[in-house]
Amino acid sequence: MATTTEPTTLRREEEEEEEEDSKPSAEDEDTGAQVAPIVKLQEVAVTTGEENEDVLLDFIANVKFLSSVGNQSCTDLTRKLTNGRRGELGLKLLKHKESGKVRLVMRQSKTLKICANHLVLPTMMVQEHQGNDKSCVWHAADFADGELKEETFCIRFASVENCKAFKDKIEEITESEANDSGENQEATAAASLIEKLSVEGDKPEAKEAPLSSEEKRMTMRNWKNLPIRRIKAFAVLVWLFWLTRVEAWVIQVSTSLKFQDDGCLGAASGVGAQRVYEQRLSIRIQVGVRENRPEI
Amino acid sequence: MALPNQQTVEYPSFKLVIVGDGGTGKTTFVKRHLTGEFEKKYEPTIGVEVHPLDFFTNCGKIRFYCWDTAGQEKFGGLRDDTSNIHGQCAIIMFDVTARLTYKNVPTWHRDLCRVCENIPIVLCGNKVDVKNRQVKAKQVTFHRKKNLQYYEISAKSNYNFEKPFLYLARKLAGDPNLHFVESPALAPPEVQIDLAAQQQHEAELAAAASQPLPDDDDEAFD
Repeated sequence: MATTTEPTTLRREEEEEEEEDSKPSAEDEDTGAQVAPIVKLQEVAVTTGEENEDVLLDFIANVKFLSSVGNQSCTDLTRKLTNGRRGELGLKLLKHKESGKVRLVMRQSKTLKICANHLVLPTMMVQEHQGNDKSCVWHAADFADGELKEETFCIRFASVENCKAFKDKIEEITESEANDSGENQEATAAASLIEKLSVEGDKPEAKEAPLSSEEKRMTMRNWKNLPIRRIKAFAVLVWLFWLTRVEAWVIQVSTSLKFQDDGCLGAASGVGAQRVYEQRLSIRIQVGVRENRPEI
Repeated sequence: MALPNQQTVEYPSFKLVIVGDGGTGKTTFVKRHLTGEFEKKYEPTIGVEVHPLDFFTNCGKIRFYCWDTAGQEKFGGLRDDTSNIHGQCAIIMFDVTARLTYKNVPTWHRDLCRVCENIPIVLCGNKVDVKNRQVKAKQVTFHRKKNLQYYEISAKSNYNFEKPFLYLARKLAGDPNLHFVESPALAPPEVQIDLAAQQQHEAELAAAASQPLPDDDDEAFD
């Protein structure tokens, strides 16, 4: 145990007197005996553990009580609420610069000891206390003592405004956290949807290829997509067949075309369908001219 | 001095003896610092209870081993010098709402000085939050005669509750500029909450939200 010489002690006392005098409260007057210090302490670097975090919210909450009730029965809970901490607590919401995680840290304003230290998770809910709008409750796995403990917190603020400010801020954080994770989910959903679409998209293309080569099997859907030029070519083909006097066949084709056309017109009155109808008409007229016998 | 919960630590530690009449709030004061709780129920301390109390200062972490002694004579400890031996600092507590507890302060002081010479002592007038106090601040003069430090405190409202420790720490280290600093807030580990636990928490929350709160009458004494 290091003892210092008397003059040093005296000088220190004087310094203390000066310091104490500068304080407004007369109660801090040092009336104590001059005693030799028993340890020699060196000033050390102070680490708050909050160096890598941005402060989102920092206010001195004039707290009537803060209780962490843990898993307890109702009688214990009442006792805890009655016996809770009082006075000023420094309440901080800190966001980590790298991980983006937000945590709540509360300290006793005089001794600067930690009363609460837990992450603000998207599942965290701050509930207003029934019948007291200055108070709210929430649950968290707290790490204030250096070990995880399930705790229910109840805090009563000095004013309704403070309580609301705190609640709103927590809500804002949990919502943005939920959105972040929600966005991620949406992004994956969209990606899978695109993938699915491209897979589905391949299928009609694959279907279309054989269909375009075999025009007789054209379905109603394909009619819409069919280029007019191809229909013209088909008409020419029909004309050629007609020239070779395969009449029955031509009429059959014409009839089937009509049916398809009717369906097409009924289903969609788009421009494409109109064109197809006109095209069919021209075939019919051509047939009629040759046979001089309007069919259908 | 060898008690099971008095494990040695690598940072400076001091033996702090807390004495005073029964019911003056010694145990409540220590508990306030230990857990933040304010215990209203009176349970007399039997013998002595030792609680380690850590503080973070600009000169590093320090620890007070608080020897919370029995105030009531029938529960022993009183006038028992063994608990006072090797005390490095002390708090004498009295109740400002009970004059007799102040009148007994000289006896407590004498007992302390018998075994502990020249140690920093703080006299604490507790329960200053109570409206009709019997011992007014001006009537407290004993500390001037015996060169003690005096603080009016309230374990209930936390008024000045850190002052005795700060004063003792400054005296023991001989550093008037020593002050409390923020204790390192370690990053809390990730927690995975399953659905069942979540439901249980919500039920607890609902129970807490509907639990009647203590009356607003006890305004903080600041």
